Amino acid sequence: MMGLQENEFRGIIQIDKKACKGCDGCKSVCPTGAIEGKYGANHTINQEKCIDCGQCLINCPFGAPIDTIDMVDQVMARLIDKSTTVVATIAPSVRVAIGEEFGMEPGTLATAKLYGALKQVGFKILDTNFTADMTIMEEGTELVEKLRHYFLGEDTVTPVGPLPQLTSCCPGWVHYAELNNPGVLKHMSSAKSPMMMAGALAKTYGAQNIWGVDPQQIYVVGIMPCTAKKFEASRPEFYNAAQYWGKRGRTGNYPDIDTVLTTRDLARLLKKLNIDLQAVAEITDADNPLAQYSGAGTIFGNTGGVMEAALRTAYFVITGQELPILSFEPVRGLNGVKKTDISLHDAQTGKDFILKVAVVNGIKENLTSVIEEVEAGNSPYHFIEIMNCPGGCVNGGGQPTNPMGTAWIDKYKALLPW
Amino acid sequence: MAHYDYEEKKLSVSRREFLGLLGVGAAVIWMGAYVTTDLVKNRKKYIRMRAQGLYKDDGQSVIRQSHNNKALMDMYAQFAGKPLSTVPQELFHTKYVDRINLGGVI
Ligand code: SF4
Ligand code: SF4
Ligand code: SF4
Repeated sequence: MMGLQENEFRGIIQIDKKACKGCDGCKSVCPTGAIEGKYGANHTINQEKCIDCGQCLINCPFGAPIDTIDMVDQVMARLIDKSTTVVATIAPSVRVAIGEEFGMEPGTLATAKLYGALKQVGFKILDTNFTADMTIMEEGTELVEKLRHYFLGEDTVTPVGPLPQLTSCCPGWVHYAELNNPGVLKHMSSAKSPMMMAGALAKTYGAQNIWGVDPQQIYVVGIMPCTAKKFEASRPEFYNAAQYWGKRGRTGNYPDIDTVLTTRDLARLLKKLNIDLQAVAEITDADNPLAQYSGAGTIFGNTGGVMEAALRTAYFVITGQELPILSFEPVRGLNGVKKTDISLHDAQTGKDFILKVAVVNGIKENLTSVIEEVEAGNSPYHFIEIMNCPGGCVNGGGQPTNPMGTAWIDKYKALLPW
Repeated sequence: MAHYDYEEKKLSVSRREFLGLLGVGAAVIWMGAYVTTDLVKNRKKYIRMRAQGLYKDDGQSVIRQSHNNKALMDMYAQFAGKPLSTVPQELFHTKYVDRINLGGVI
């Protein structure tokens, strides 16, 4: 198939022919125009365009699009095998949504319950929020280097890419850009997504410094609000831990992330093991260094959250002071494109400059104008956060589908003639 | 151990409803699109609820900035060195692929 690298998953999301009513609802949310089929007829997905984001899946009123990668049983088998260290890396947005599958209100913060349940069934925890903080250190340092180079004329050790810098933590967006706007890839931060950093970290630092096990015996499960993460984990680039050890005399070939479960998948796994999240004993995991995270790491799941987290650190690095007000309202909320300016006073040179940033969420509606400027080389911004899903990962394609417990059919039954 | 029985919540339409829907044909197709718009509106409500959950997590955190995450700084000190240095370049950074010019790989 066009546009795929070797061994990458294809066709993760498929439409069940028997369930599709041809209502066109999914077309109105699909960011890539991948859905084909006449109004009233069965719809199908053009897999050469699809970025596996799952927006069609969570928005179809008939539940017709399905996620075809189901690894629940494989993960359960690994949990039973005592020679394997099974590591869960949990994305920010999972903790505020998984409760919905167990009768809690949307937004209920279930971190301690989730840790409790995961430990009970045999996972070790490397919170993705920890590696979200790491993403900020890597991506933020990259941004600060560019700013110092372009604004203050300083030399850099290695050549830096052009401004604006684009965020790279959303695999839906990365895949979209690779398919549709390859001209902007040089603007993309080279930082991996927090999940991919977690995989590489687990099989190096985790193996050696924390758990004291052979990296080959570690099985890392990404627990994600996102179906595009299943695609990302299958990319051939991500064997970096194995390559790291290869250079240091330990052979072996294994991926950084072994598999991905969505929030829905994890709920299914827990139910199969008869775990009720509501009844699980809470665990804070205070003495696990890989479960420590800052408030900046956790807001990654919201549109604007990566920007806000990056600004807190970039501001500190440049001005030498912490941002006075941490809740950075201009980048919060559900507007499709949010823009703001931040004045920075460089502590080293005494120079002032203005950092211009933009936040895009919902590629379908909101990307075009912003990205066309970047392609044309006249973007007014220095840093742009882009997330595929409207609202960010809290509304990802792997999240629970009916949080309020009411399928649409209940609400509309009154209108139907039977 | 206690056993719990769960009902998987379903978004899908039951068999009886499905047959009924077939019966009403085009009106239902139209309604699907209509309901999707409504679902999207409804969805905004719980996107906000989930987003609030994360902002609450942030607000109640003792540490609010990534560079103040001590366990992370320990990791850099013991293992990776500085951000963007050699080990982070090996493990935490990546490259992207121009898929338009990639051609067909099976
Ligand atoms: S929204 Fe669902 S039922 Fe309607 S066309 Fe798309 S897949 Fe088919
Ligand atoms: S998964 Fe995303 S890109 Fe693929 S068809 Fe569905 S909405 Fe479109
Ligand atoms: S916004 Fe989040 S959930 Fe949606 S595709 Fe991107 S990473 Fe996945």
